[in-house]
Amino acid sequence: MRGATKKGIAVEEYNKLKHMFDKGALSRRDFMAGVAMIGAGMAVAPTLLSGTAQAATPKVGGNFIIGMEGGSATDSLDPRTYSDSVMIGASLAVYNCMVEFDSNGNPTGELLESWEAKPGAKEWIFNVRKGVKFSNGKTLDADDIIYSIGIHTGETKSPAKGILKQITEIKKINANQIQMTLEGGNADFPVILGDYHLIVVPNGFTDWQKPIGTGGYTLEKFEPGVGLKFKRRGDYWKAGRANFETVEIRNIQDVAARTAALQSGQVHAANRLDPRTVNLLMKDKKLNVVRTKGTGNRFCFVSRVTDSPFDNKDLRTALKYGIDRQKIIDQVYSGFATPGNDHTLDAGNPFYNTALPQRKYDPDKAAFHFKKAGLANAKIELQASEGAWGSAVDCAQLYQESLKKAGINLDVKKVSADGYWDNVWLKVPFCAVYWGRRLSADQTLTQVYSSASDWNDSNWKRPEFDKLITEARAELDQKKRKEMYWKAQEMISDDGGMICFAITDYLDGYAKSVSGNDPHARYDLNDQRIAEKGSFA
Amino acid sequence: MLKTIVIRVALGLLTLWAVSILIFGATEILPGDVASAVLGQGATPETLAVFRHELGLDRPSYVRYLEWFFNALHGDLGVAMTNKRVIVETIAPRLSNTLFLAGYAALIAVPTSVVLGIVAAINEGKFIDRFVNIISLMTISVPEFFIAYVLILYLAVQFEVFPSLSTVFPEMEFSEKIYMAALPAFTLTMLVMAHMLRMTRTSVLSIMSQPYIEMAFLKGLTRSQVIVRHALPNAAAPIISVIALNLAYLIVGVVVIEVVFVYPGIGQFMVDGVAKRDLPVVQACGLIFAGAFVGLNTVADVLAIMVNPRLRHPR
Repeated sequence: MRGATKKGIAVEEYNKLKHMFDKGALSRRDFMAGVAMIGAGMAVAPTLLSGTAQAATPKVGGNFIIGMEGGSATDSLDPRTYSDSVMIGASLAVYNCMVEFDSNGNPTGELLESWEAKPGAKEWIFNVRKGVKFSNGKTLDADDIIYSIGIHTGETKSPAKGILKQITEIKKINANQIQMTLEGGNADFPVILGDYHLIVVPNGFTDWQKPIGTGGYTLEKFEPGVGLKFKRRGDYWKAGRANFETVEIRNIQDVAARTAALQSGQVHAANRLDPRTVNLLMKDKKLNVVRTKGTGNRFCFVSRVTDSPFDNKDLRTALKYGIDRQKIIDQVYSGFATPGNDHTLDAGNPFYNTALPQRKYDPDKAAFHFKKAGLANAKIELQASEGAWGSAVDCAQLYQESLKKAGINLDVKKVSADGYWDNVWLKVPFCAVYWGRRLSADQTLTQVYSSASDWNDSNWKRPEFDKLITEARAELDQKKRKEMYWKAQEMISDDGGMICFAITDYLDGYAKSVSGNDPHARYDLNDQRIAEKGSFA
Repeated sequence: MLKTIVIRVALGLLTLWAVSILIFGATEILPGDVASAVLGQGATPETLAVFRHELGLDRPSYVRYLEWFFNALHGDLGVAMTNKRVIVETIAPRLSNTLFLAGYAALIAVPTSVVLGIVAAINEGKFIDRFVNIISLMTISVPEFFIAYVLILYLAVQFEVFPSLSTVFPEMEFSEKIYMAALPAFTLTMLVMAHMLRMTRTSVLSIMSQPYIEMAFLKGLTRSQVIVRHALPNAAAPIISVIALNLAYLIVGVVVIEVVFVYPGIGQFMVDGVAKRDLPVVQACGLIFAGAFVGLNTVADVLAIMVNPRLRHPR
């Protein structure tokens, strides 16, 4: 009897979710999450969903214009130079990556169709997708993949060089199979190959001004800092994708200009809307605002635990309790950010530790630990700059205010934005730092916190932590890995030198006529693939 | 007179050369270099070293300066360090866009402000004089982006008369370019008008106290005849130099307007270059800007000599 009632409620809840999804009030991802939560009819949900998807076969055609921040007159289509949104989005229109991510952030096959790890996760076999053609007519094979990885290794300035160092051998098995051997086991290796720098070009390709790729569009025009134009290929290997006849990306650095262009219909999509005005845009009947929660930049104040006085754990704890995260989020980010829990992993990551209590502002606890540290006269100076991120100085001042309530005096020193990453970061004892999202839990923890990393900015080096993440890396049993990563996050949050107080949301705006604009676990603009995934309704 | 002109031009070239050294020096003392700016937070000492060597940044600065200088004399401004594009080719369309916008704004602003300035001088102290003064002072007193946003709000978003994105492309028709660039041209017009208008008014009025003007009045001429025939030619020199100054501003000082209206001019190009420490790009832009300033000032000096009878025939 009780079971029947429970089931009845679940069905009702499911119908409500389904109704909201059909009306567009829920994204597909939220719908699935909702369904998973009520535990109802997981077996029926996919069929119903695919029914909806089939009913709405995307329409082909139209000129789609995206207004974007994150580009410059110095841009180029050489993947070794990518660092910001415009080139990532442009790249994904022309090229394909090795590995793609679904909306929950799990790796799925792109040009590497499928893979298999030998026990120990040291040797990997990758199957190259068959029947994919480059825009010059050449058919994709294993040599193209090997060449495209090779351009990021050896004498190069590629940012992907570091993540590919672990590959000790790449071997072609046949035209459609590659074997890669790593220096140590890495269960997340396919995730690493999903890095946006790792696009695929034909074997021997060098003329980056005339790109040849397997993507859904070909490049028509490229004026760095102004914009790009693409034309639909028509024979794209992904069925139902790349549905616009032409796509234009316009560089619009100024957020007010981007917003005005979106409102007046001159662009159909815009990235990085202003959190302070986005509430007004949400009321605009011609627009959709899509919010991707807490996968953006992680904003931190980082102390070096080897420098005095931050070598005192009680002081570090005091500094973590003494920051009013919610106030900074409300005042600086207008509420469009998620509180950080003193490590740089976000809640969108499958290995995020949900059991670790969110640290909150507690002046009493901060005062207690500060007293215990016995450093009443120590000089605590925080260096911040607009070169760290735009509002770093504002955040630092709010931090100073909230520490004062705990009886801790913080000096905020504003330093030059020029050369900030060169002269301040990794050098001074306490400074403002932002971290971007990394591909995997392993990559995050290794790059930011392992003893061997060049970028371990808190200089927090713990052999037991290094051992833990090395073991987790090679562990193919997901449940065991999860336990290890949860432990690792706890260690950083408790003992580390980083106060990670906020992770921003992405805010995209679209004209109502654009569909295919769901939030994604990785980047904004549907993982920077809106040109490929979107269409006009 | 020819001698004066030759000396002016030679001095202009000398200034340009000095400017090229100054720009080079300034980019040298900026903290960080192109390698660390391009690679950003993700740089490792190893990738930095590779990149610096690739760009030749590990050589002494005077060697790099001299190399650049002699290439520039041959019209070769080099390739951008960041994306390896030929600078002359990338800069040409942007420079022509900037000149187009500057010309567009100047064609509206210069005649309007000179005429309004004369009208204000003729009607000194009357309603029309005060009205143009107040309006022009208002437009110059608010920041440039404020005027731009107000125009966008009313003319682009609410009434959709003009586009808020003024991105022009080389293949556009001339009439289409005029339409696309309307809002930035109006904004710039408002920004430069006040200066020229008030200078015209003031210099005309200052001539008005001269004895020969009194003579003209005594001849029985009307106020407007006196101003147009007798006062204006003698007041021309300061007006011309103010116009030249404002034209130079229209070429070199419109980065904010370019950003707000997404206009692909040379200002934003230089700002991007500075942000990435792309020295050849910054040098090239700096030379062009300095060239515009020096060139326009030289032209203004020569014109001032030519219109003024006393300077034309020095005793």
